[in-house]
Amino acid sequence: MQETNKQVPVTVLTGFLGAGKTTLLNRILTEQHGKKYAVIVNEFGEQGIDNDLVVDADEEVFEMNNGCICCTVRGDLIRILSGLMKRADKLDAIIVETTGLADPAPVAQTFFVDQDVADRTKLDAIVTVADAVHLSSQLTDHHEAEEQIAFADVVLLNKIDLVDENGLEVVKQRIKKINPFAKIINTTKCGVPLNEVLNLDAFSLKRVLEVEPDFLTSDHDHEHDDDVTSLSFVSDTPLDMEKFQDWFTKLLQTKGQDILRTKGILDFTGESDRYVFQGVHMLMDASPMGKWPEGKERSSRLVFIGRNLETMNLKEGFENCKSA
Amino acid sequence: MKADLNNFPQLNKTKFENRGKEFRLGIPVINAVTVGNSIAVGFGDGTVRIFSSGKSSKPIKAHKGIVLCMAKDGDHILTGGDDGRFLRISLDGNINEISNFGTRWIDHVTSKNGSVVCTSGNIVYLWMPNKKEPKLLEHDSTIGGVAFDSKGRKLAVSRYGGVTLWKKDYSNKWTSSDLIWKGSHNKVIFSPDDRYLVTSMQENQLHFWRLKDKIDSVMSGYGAKVKSFAFVGDSKYLATSGANVAVCWPFDGDGPVGREPICLPYVGKQLVTFVESFPNENAILTGLSDGSVYLSEIEKANNTIIIRSFTEFEVSAIAVTDDCSHLLIGDMGGNILWTSIWDEEKN
Repeated sequence: MQETNKQVPVTVLTGFLGAGKTTLLNRILTEQHGKKYAVIVNEFGEQGIDNDLVVDADEEVFEMNNGCICCTVRGDLIRILSGLMKRADKLDAIIVETTGLADPAPVAQTFFVDQDVADRTKLDAIVTVADAVHLSSQLTDHHEAEEQIAFADVVLLNKIDLVDENGLEVVKQRIKKINPFAKIINTTKCGVPLNEVLNLDAFSLKRVLEVEPDFLTSDHDHEHDDDVTSLSFVSDTPLDMEKFQDWFTKLLQTKGQDILRTKGILDFTGESDRYVFQGVHMLMDASPMGKWPEGKERSSRLVFIGRNLETMNLKEGFENCKSA
Repeated sequence: MKADLNNFPQLNKTKFENRGKEFRLGIPVINAVTVGNSIAVGFGDGTVRIFSSGKSSKPIKAHKGIVLCMAKDGDHILTGGDDGRFLRISLDGNINEISNFGTRWIDHVTSKNGSVVCTSGNIVYLWMPNKKEPKLLEHDSTIGGVAFDSKGRKLAVSRYGGVTLWKKDYSNKWTSSDLIWKGSHNKVIFSPDDRYLVTSMQENQLHFWRLKDKIDSVMSGYGAKVKSFAFVGDSKYLATSGANVAVCWPFDGDGPVGREPICLPYVGKQLVTFVESFPNENAILTGLSDGSVYLSEIEKANNTIIIRSFTEFEVSAIAVTDDCSHLLIGDMGGNILWTSIWDEEKN
């Protein structure tokens, strides 16, 4: 209950084996002098990790029934984070390195549904390290690679020295098609200023207001039906709150498995505040976030990242929410 | 010793605080166990302290990081830490390392009749009396809790998907059966008469099995995770945390199915974070999220007295000595109250 325990930020590092996660991790640990980090890792042995506090996790995903919503969480993270928060010495941050084939959704959902974890820690950002040479083929062959891009707040496009300019552009377009929100940072050997990967507060609703999605202007054809893509909608006509809630709740309940991430800023009829939300699968965090800025047009923006989005009649559903 | 529930002297010290000893250590209290007339406390800096009447408590440096778990083992305590060490510690501070698991955490420890157990990940390590090497009992998922029955012939291991119940036959061979209920099960205990097995879950609920016929059911309705629960007296009630009342389920007769629990209210509607039975009475000690602790008779809710006023930190440990002369309260802010229970006792 006490607010004196500040929430410790947790950064999640994802990415395929060999992309450079451990390189980034060791850079963070060696460059941030005087800070106390706990590192939760799953893959031992590939490269040593230079830190006092390294915790061995087993990536145990389990289902949790939270009222009417059933979702997956990382059981080992709940156990380890709860343990770490009982330490006498306070941590500056926690970094979770996932295995190459991990789905980031259970990690993110853990911070939504476990009250102890949510009280004492906060998900700062999901940082995905991608290999500029191999990402395209990994995206084609492994749905986990798509999920890691879809959930990313930052994509560290690593090893750019090994591709030509054209190849780099192709892979960037591919990332943007999946996730228009992610900030793409070009690096070789994960050389990135650490303030671009740490303390981003990317899961706070305030940040939803600040990030302008980078949408592709032209439509690209899908190679597979189950490709992860994004769709966005804008409306200058205010929305009816009741209609929107009805539609959106039902949508997440029935299609939440395919909808990986959602974000939005909504303008409801009769409301003076901006309404901001962001979600992971069926879980959502939403709140009024202050008045609309003066002199600026009010409008609603809504973004979906997921699979089979074109089958969900999203455009029609959104249109129907407009106030008559 | 009665108090008006609506008019507690919240800001004044209680008579227990006035006559007891208060320690403001600033190190989170993780757990406390009773060993005879002493109480051992484990802290978030890896130390253990032993509190006894008339003695001062010195920190015993047991673990590098934190004392994750603790249990009584005869006149010793067992501890497990995030440094991978499984220790037996005497009340005068002698440490004996039973095993060292390196980077793996020791999540749970327990003992009964000379058998000692620790768990790490999905494996139970069981040392039978006078055996040097442990027996390994493997499970499909990480272990959430472990408990012996009163005779030490059964070992319940909670995990994802239910409980594995290990049984020792007369040739000391262990065989297992499964008690299944979907979801992740954490702490597990047997009722004192060994008729029931109770687990708390990742969801805000408990689950119980009646062992003779494997009838099972959910105890739900909590606003928070149930992290602390204890059978009271002769297993008539199961007292539980996780709501802003102490929820006490009836376990006499055929158990709680179809029956209402008794809910004991407290001033301020804080979350109950810790419950402990008061020995030999139908009464419980209840610790709240603001640090206050009350003693209540279960069937007489107006017979509630305040033991400790608030500290702003959630109560994380309560223990009573075997002779029922003293009690200890610890919280996550590192505040400890050690006090005699009866007026005439010394501290």
